[in-house]
Amino acid sequence: MTFGPGAAGGSATTELSLLMDIGSAWTKAAVVGRTRGRWRIAAHAAQPSGWDEAELIATLAARLAGTADPRVAARLDALLAEAPRISVHTPTRPGRIAMAAVSAELSGAAARRAAESAGWVVVEAVTADDGRPSAERLSALQSAEVDAWLLAGGFDDEGGEGALDMAGLVAAARGGGRSPVVWAGSAALRDDVAALFDPGVLRPVANPRPSPDRENPLPLRRYLDALIERLVERGTARQLAPIGFGRAVAELARAGRLRVVGVDLGARYATWASADENGIADSRVVASGGLASGSLTLPGRPAALAHSLEMAIDELAVADALQNLRARPGSLPQTDEELAIVQGASRELLGELAAGGPAPSGVDLLIGSGRTIAAAPIPGQAMQMLLDGVRPIGIVQLAIDPAGALGPLGALRDDEIVEGLGMLRDDVLAPLGAAVICQGGRPGHVSMRVTVHRVGWPSLGPIDIRPGQLELLPLSRGQVAELEIDLDPSVRLGAPRSARSVQATVTGGAVGLVLDARDVPLQLPRRTDDRRTVLSSWRETLLREPSVEGAA
Amino acid sequence: MNGASLHRIHLPRGTSVTVRVGAAIRPDEVIGLRRGALAPVQLPLTRPLHRPPGDVEQVLTVRPGERVEAGQPLALNEGGGAVAAPMAGLVLSVSRRDGTLLLAPLGPEEPVISHVRGRVRSIEEGALAVEVPAARLRGVGGAGDAVHGELVVGVPTPEVELRAAAIDSGATGKILVGGSRASAETLTRARAMGVAGIVLGGVLDKELRDFEAIQRRRSEAGGMTGSFGILLVEGFGKVGIDPQLFAWFRAHAGRVASLFGADRLLYVYDAAPLPERRLLARVGDRVIAHRRPFQGRGGVLVALLDDLHAAQSGIPTRMALVRFEDGRLAPVPLANLEATLPATPR
Repeated sequence: MTFGPGAAGGSATTELSLLMDIGSAWTKAAVVGRTRGRWRIAAHAAQPSGWDEAELIATLAARLAGTADPRVAARLDALLAEAPRISVHTPTRPGRIAMAAVSAELSGAAARRAAESAGWVVVEAVTADDGRPSAERLSALQSAEVDAWLLAGGFDDEGGEGALDMAGLVAAARGGGRSPVVWAGSAALRDDVAALFDPGVLRPVANPRPSPDRENPLPLRRYLDALIERLVERGTARQLAPIGFGRAVAELARAGRLRVVGVDLGARYATWASADENGIADSRVVASGGLASGSLTLPGRPAALAHSLEMAIDELAVADALQNLRARPGSLPQTDEELAIVQGASRELLGELAAGGPAPSGVDLLIGSGRTIAAAPIPGQAMQMLLDGVRPIGIVQLAIDPAGALGPLGALRDDEIVEGLGMLRDDVLAPLGAAVICQGGRPGHVSMRVTVHRVGWPSLGPIDIRPGQLELLPLSRGQVAELEIDLDPSVRLGAPRSARSVQATVTGGAVGLVLDARDVPLQLPRRTDDRRTVLSSWRETLLREPSVEGAA
Repeated sequence: MNGASLHRIHLPRGTSVTVRVGAAIRPDEVIGLRRGALAPVQLPLTRPLHRPPGDVEQVLTVRPGERVEAGQPLALNEGGGAVAAPMAGLVLSVSRRDGTLLLAPLGPEEPVISHVRGRVRSIEEGALAVEVPAARLRGVGGAGDAVHGELVVGVPTPEVELRAAAIDSGATGKILVGGSRASAETLTRARAMGVAGIVLGGVLDKELRDFEAIQRRRSEAGGMTGSFGILLVEGFGKVGIDPQLFAWFRAHAGRVASLFGADRLLYVYDAAPLPERRLLARVGDRVIAHRRPFQGRGGVLVALLDDLHAAQSGIPTRMALVRFEDGRLAPVPLANLEATLPATPR
């Protein structure tokens, strides 16, 4: 830290600021200070959001005490309490929307995806093919407590009476009031639907399913993004953690000329932010996508999760653990079993988040944020959650946001984000390493043959990776390696199918270099014992110290 | 929480409120009337008017979404012919294909009960805000309806499981405080015996789901009457109620209470302040642990460890040393503890 002349009596002072992410369960704080002329993240801490702020300040002060100049050490609490802050917070409450559509599979699915990606919670959904009697649909919609209504159905060229029937149902259920109705159905029916409501109530948006074979969710998602800001979180969009996170990811992509995907898995929200080399970003914010949101405790989910765990944990114990996590999201998994359940749940939720958009292919950098991923006890666990959950195809660098600093930095003004991320680039992300993930493969054949050339170290390989195999090679933080990859004709690495030989440069991290031929999506044996054996072996591979055995 | 708190009663759409702002209401008071929609009926519009189905838009005098009264014209012909609504209802849709209108008749007026005692502070769109002068307990889980009734304690000690055999006709209309768990069988029997609600320390998620599935099937079969609510105060699994809280329940047996299962709330009227909880426990505090392997166990926080230490799961965190009531001394993540404090007098 640097010290300037104090205002009174020449006492030492220091320049500090705090980056704070106030989540629904945990609050993360990072101290930014100047050391040897550079701005750095000097300390970070996290605590349950229900604890006093003074406790967080005291924890940060204690972490700084060992390294701070003795002239300010005794005053760190006061200096931190008074330091300027850049903070973001989880939305106070999600927007609640009721949805009516013609088909659950087509218009309903497209509309639901768009709404959930924009941070809405669909509290009630009825479709013409849901098998419920009309009176039950009407009663369900009448009982729903909502901020807005979403209507979808009918292809643009065809119109369709079914969509008009659903609009009539919503008009009957809604009665009157101020809640807006978003029409995201057939363009041809727009005037007919508008006639069912008072002037100004209906907000027409481009159809997310304009034809049977085309989906166009972006205009609806953008509209719902703006609507939630107007109705639920007025005027504070930049200070919302999911928005800040997306902005920071976009700047990292622009500055590094990279294709970046960031996933932030919180207690209530899950955010997927992707950006290309030009910083053009797209994000999906799922209000019920977090670990404590309740989606994991829906009927059938605990059993499915128990099925996917490497440990034999009773379905009843899984269900209770998930419910307790939901009831007390600020608490921590204390036992190995509970940690396995939470990390398994993270993988599931990340998988759903990834499935909400186009398959992540050609990603240069994948960032994991949120306590469960970024504060995993062992970096290999974070790597496993990201790889198994997101399943990005190709050659990808992986990193975590251990201080939860991306959200607050993304809350800065546009010009300040560039400066903020530029200054703190080395501290914001903790690299886990790199991974080569291929899709496809033939039993009995080598999926990938990889040779690793490391600067100043002997080369590794060629290493044969067979279908279902996962290999971890040593590549420490900052160490660069050139990869030569020969692919079996049955596998793809995101590149065009014709490219059977690929060269790439990767950089290491806390875990190393992962060679992953487990297919996308993951292929698992059906028999329980076999499945657990395979899952355990993958976990052990990622958690053990990487070795060069087998690479010779 | 004690003293008065503001409670929001959600009113289904179509409810006409029958109380005014400032009115004092009782738990059994009717605060609104509502006519639910019945199975829709299809009414021919064009055929009685001797018009082709495609002319339906020209003769129609109402629009889908509208509420109509019995006798109100639904369609009119230039010649003076009319089709009137046979009953009051909600117009759902109009078909150009067959010239018919789908009308959901409105059922008989049903009362909307307040289930709380207090004073109406405001009437909002879809809700009534009521100031409730009562001790308020927020649970960690819940299910079912809003109910009210007299509070009775159904188990001798807080760690005991509430058994089906312990529920008899004496519990009808009451809110029963159970212990550490109740099976689906117990919950089903409680509902069948007319128990208004149950307060539990914990319940297995599976038992709750089984109970809900049984209720759903009974409801579909039309064999279910009365409302029933469940409130969990500690966690999921077999978890005893904190002894201080249990003692408070015992001291308040016989008082009227309101239970809102879906909102995870319990109000107890004419009650002393509830024992308090504080999320950040300090050395010397009586604490309760919330995660396995100590879930639901009480003890005293005897020390806070310096720096971060790994929990059994490997997560580095602030750890506390707790002397549990069985004499065992164990490190527990501070985040998994809650201080339980004696009630502070109002």
